Amino acid sequence: MELMSLLQDLQASAPAEWMRTSVKAMPLVEGTHVLAAATVFGTILIVDLRLLGLRDVRRAFTRVSDEMLRLTWGAFGLAVVTGALMFAANAGTYYGNTAFRLKMLALLAAGLNMAIFQHRTLRGVAAWDVNATPPRAARVAGLLSILFWLSVIFLARWIGFTKGYDFAVPDDAEINFQF
Amino acid sequence: MNTTMQRKLVKGAAAAVIAAGIAMAAPAIAHHSFALYNMEQTLTFTGVVTRVNPDANHLQIFFAPMNDERKNVQRGEDGKPLVWAVEMTGSAQAAADGISVGTFPPGTIFTVGMHPLRSGEKAGARVNPGAIYKCPEKKPPAAGKHCDSVDGSVTIGGGQLPVAAPTAR
Repeated sequence: MELMSLLQDLQASAPAEWMRTSVKAMPLVEGTHVLAAATVFGTILIVDLRLLGLRDVRRAFTRVSDEMLRLTWGAFGLAVVTGALMFAANAGTYYGNTAFRLKMLALLAAGLNMAIFQHRTLRGVAAWDVNATPPRAARVAGLLSILFWLSVIFLARWIGFTKGYDFAVPDDAEINFQF
Repeated sequence: MNTTMQRKLVKGAAAAVIAAGIAMAAPAIAHHSFALYNMEQTLTFTGVVTRVNPDANHLQIFFAPMNDERKNVQRGEDGKPLVWAVEMTGSAQAAADGISVGTFPPGTIFTVGMHPLRSGEKAGARVNPGAIYKCPEKKPPAAGKHCDSVDGSVTIGGGQLPVAAPTAR
């Protein structure tokens, strides 16, 4: 399968090899990933709580979101780079891991929720920007955002404890068992 | 807050950081207990590598144990090789010892000692300290022997080949 050979190439790449063999690589990259994820969630939470009308209600929504989302995107970029490095180190195993797949789904859901909010709900922001309580669609988007990002974080931690044993002999492995 | 109080706070914080550092140094040696494994029991296998999982926390080598004649691997009723796993330190530390995806490609014949899982799953923790021996390519040992008996075999890790103690003492 094409995807499998892509994963194998990724796993055989120089950055992946560095991640596997340097004692410093994983702690540094993983630590950075955690800090980036904390920044992503922290800044998004501030925006979501404003959407829910629970915090910063005396400031216009767009003012809060413009300030925060710059940090969010910067940190998200960092999380993608560090996450890709960790994935590459053992691509085949992560790809087959259920918690990893669910995390990617949760990430996709968070992204879709954000896209719908940006392209639909935010169009009429002028009408409610300074309101303490934004309209229902905006509040729903804020609540879903919090739930999806919490899912991403918990599923991410799940990955590390659900790797188990995969005893299957790879199909493409031509191994000589007789001597 | 006056200066004395501030100094005390800084000192307290510094002490906390140092204590945390010391606490973290110990888990680097053994970050969890070995209660999962039967440490009283040692199994010594000579087998053929099927796959290496370079996990960041615990590298795993999957392998098919050889039969006593060392002419074939042990097989199940369906004729397929029985596969076991031995796990050890994280991939980076294992690589420093010479164990990686590259140095243990599928087909590698090697000998390892392990403490098996209590669960009965076909897996265990590498006996450490204890040597792993890698046979020269496609050269299995003589019947009933291990890779340490083969000329040109490579030793990985210190110590002797773990002696099998198949029953719990």
